[in-house]
Amino acid sequence: MSEHGNTALTIKEAYEQDNDKGLKFLRPHFAEEKFPAVQIAGYIGSLVLTFAAYFLVMNHVLPPAALLAIILALAVFQAGLQLGVFMHLKESRGLAWQLIPLYLVFLIALGMVGMSIWIMLFKSGVS
Amino acid sequence: MPSFVSYLIHTLFPPSVRLPDILLIDVGLVFGIIGIVVFLTKTGRWGSLWRDWLTTVDHKKIAVMYLIAALLMLFRGGVDALMIRAQLAAPGAHFMPASQYDEVFTTHGTIMIFFMAMPFIFALFNAVVPLMIGARDVAFPRLNAMSYWLFAMGAALFNVSFIIGGSPNAGWTAYPPYTGLAYNPGPGENYYFLALLIAGLGTTMTGINFLVTTIRMRAPGMTLMKMPMFVWSTMVTSALILFAFPPLTVALAMSLFDRLFGSSFFTLAHGGMPMMYVNLFWLFGHPEVYILVIPLFGVFSEVVATYSRKALFGYPLMVVSILAIMFLSYGTWVHHFFTMGAGPGVNAFFGLSTMLIAIPTGVKIFNWIFTMWGGRIQMTTAMLYQLAFIPTFVIGGATGVLLAVVPADYQFHNSYFLIAHFHNVIIGGTVFGLLSALYYWWPKMFGMKLNERQGRWAFWLFFIGFWVTFTPQYFLGLKGMTRRIYTYPAGFGWHQLNVISTVGALIMGAAFVVLVYNIVWSLRFGERDLTGDPWDGRTLEWALPSPVPEYNFARIPVVHERDAWWAMKQRGQSLAGSLRAEDVHDVEMPKNTPIPFLIGVSFFVMGFGMTFKWWPIAIIGFIGVILCLLFSGFDYDDHHHLKADVIRNTEASLGRLQG
Ligand code: HEM
Ligand SMILES: [Cu+2]
Repeated sequence: MSEHGNTALTIKEAYEQDNDKGLKFLRPHFAEEKFPAVQIAGYIGSLVLTFAAYFLVMNHVLPPAALLAIILALAVFQAGLQLGVFMHLKESRGLAWQLIPLYLVFLIALGMVGMSIWIMLFKSGVS
Repeated sequence: MPSFVSYLIHTLFPPSVRLPDILLIDVGLVFGIIGIVVFLTKTGRWGSLWRDWLTTVDHKKIAVMYLIAALLMLFRGGVDALMIRAQLAAPGAHFMPASQYDEVFTTHGTIMIFFMAMPFIFALFNAVVPLMIGARDVAFPRLNAMSYWLFAMGAALFNVSFIIGGSPNAGWTAYPPYTGLAYNPGPGENYYFLALLIAGLGTTMTGINFLVTTIRMRAPGMTLMKMPMFVWSTMVTSALILFAFPPLTVALAMSLFDRLFGSSFFTLAHGGMPMMYVNLFWLFGHPEVYILVIPLFGVFSEVVATYSRKALFGYPLMVVSILAIMFLSYGTWVHHFFTMGAGPGVNAFFGLSTMLIAIPTGVKIFNWIFTMWGGRIQMTTAMLYQLAFIPTFVIGGATGVLLAVVPADYQFHNSYFLIAHFHNVIIGGTVFGLLSALYYWWPKMFGMKLNERQGRWAFWLFFIGFWVTFTPQYFLGLKGMTRRIYTYPAGFGWHQLNVISTVGALIMGAAFVVLVYNIVWSLRFGERDLTGDPWDGRTLEWALPSPVPEYNFARIPVVHERDAWWAMKQRGQSLAGSLRAEDVHDVEMPKNTPIPFLIGVSFFVMGFGMTFKWWPIAIIGFIGVILCLLFSGFDYDDHHHLKADVIRNTEASLGRLQG
């Protein structure tokens, strides 16, 4: 989809440009693609991060609080990596295409995680 | 060698599946399969089965396959329901053993939600969304076929459990510790988790596909506020799927790890947290109930406008309320486990947020009523379901609000009152909506109408049967009858009400028989739809001939207003009359591919191997998946050109080409 370059478009403009192409935007553009080195590195990186967390948990090398903090950090880092490498964060038609869904994702993810923590806190409060 | 054989027999056919009724079904299945094979060979249809169906990426054919699967599953789930009602009809009955009863209600719930309602909804998405937005297919046709085959193979895996190895028996919610290996050692729950993981993968992909389709593939001029309401509901449902299925996937995968690899996420021992499963499941579960009903809100909006011959009342408000429901439905999930004891703060918050949802829902109800107000209403079968839906759903919603009153829910929870509530919304909303849609869009999908007189019979049987079945259950709940009990003693005053409920279930069973008869009869003798617009419709799918040609639109239409087709007709235009030969160009269409089918089969093999921990088989399936993905990734030859002449000929033969 690099044909659109980096010009920032509003949602409306991007929509108008792409519309009425039938299925055309599905046509592969392999000629323009280089060897997917970034993606492969991202894939291996994700695996390494996962196994690092697994190793830390299985071997009890850290006290619980530190362990939690570290696997949380690894998870956030991996989420960022995947967003950047696989979700085409940088190959945008325009900022608007990326930001609105991204805000939504953060809103919902934080809501789910935050409220889940709130709900599950009862374990410490109730015997 | 004999020890190997006895191991096989013991694992695949443990005593729990060696029941007389199941053995009878086994025999029937074997004969059925032989019959199908003989039929296909005799009539020489293997080739066309492969070319036209198994490898297709056409959204219209995928819709038909979803529909067939959904109706089959409706049958299976319905038989389970009748078995449940038979067992409960009398106190102390021994229609089946307790262990089998557990398997039957688990199967009933899981099949109805994941393998009946979901594919039925996807059948509607596939059948009409591309047509409504003026597109030639969905955004990712190959992914769409993959979604279908993942769903179908997940459903197949779930359905073999009762003849091979034994069914899951921990309820459709599969709470630990019921699912824990220590308490539930058979393969049943492995089947459940794997089947749902595989089908869920397909569902997530469907969500992505239709989100992109509705955002990106609309005909020029069709702005968001000019989309038909059904397209809005598709978009919102897809967004709900996208965010709701990951928590389910995580919860299922963690449960599976507990069972297969000895982890202890949700176990009672080793610091596991069973309550976390409940939290994750309903984090998915509540949005899921809206995934099940919002598409039908869309259907009703189309049906009510068409048969009242009026534009939908309060369209912008309808959009706002559907979006409000989407957001609110993420903030109510604790109402499914108030009794877990999370404390007054948490419970009060989620009780209130639950009641809030009733407001946008009420807005929609009023808008449907105002649409009918002063309209010239045609009492078709589809419209009857619409009229039945409104009071049924309102009562279901009202009992939902009662359940959301936390102190009261401590009484109602897991009683037959809850059972009556959710059947009230799921049958009154989802099933009535699905049937309404079936009658409404059948001519578009198959080229003939369903017989209306038979349809009305089926409708009245369903409607009456529904109320006879579930009204008594509210009172049973208030009298203390809890859900998922296998039998009850005489003298609790439950007997009469249960008998009435069982009679109602039989009436609904009769309704299903009439429905099937209606379908079969109409396929043969039904009135052909020659115009493509039998209901004097409002949206673009009715501008096309029925059934719709492969390429959908010979020329992509330009949209100027809401209810685009109605507006065109008002101006005396049509897609057909204005099409000149030089307007038709070659179009690019996706090409058929066996990959989606093969990847589904590979997942089935992998799931089956994992269910029994037969790792070599699981690995073979896994390798199949990887090979399919690799092959698909390097398959550049994925589309073909449909020549303009072919399109011209087709359109001319339909009398839709000028000159
Ligand atoms: C005004 C709208 C609604 C309200 C206030 C509401 C409220 C509730 C509450 C509080 C419960 C939990 C009861 C308990 O476990 O004790 C519940 C259960 C349930 N509701 Fe609703 N609900 C509403 C609409 C719906 C809709 C639209 C559907 C589906 C189409 C639905 C499907 C279900 C299901 C399946 C369950 C039971 C799940 C189970 O435990 O197996 N509800 N509802
Ligand atoms: Cu809920």
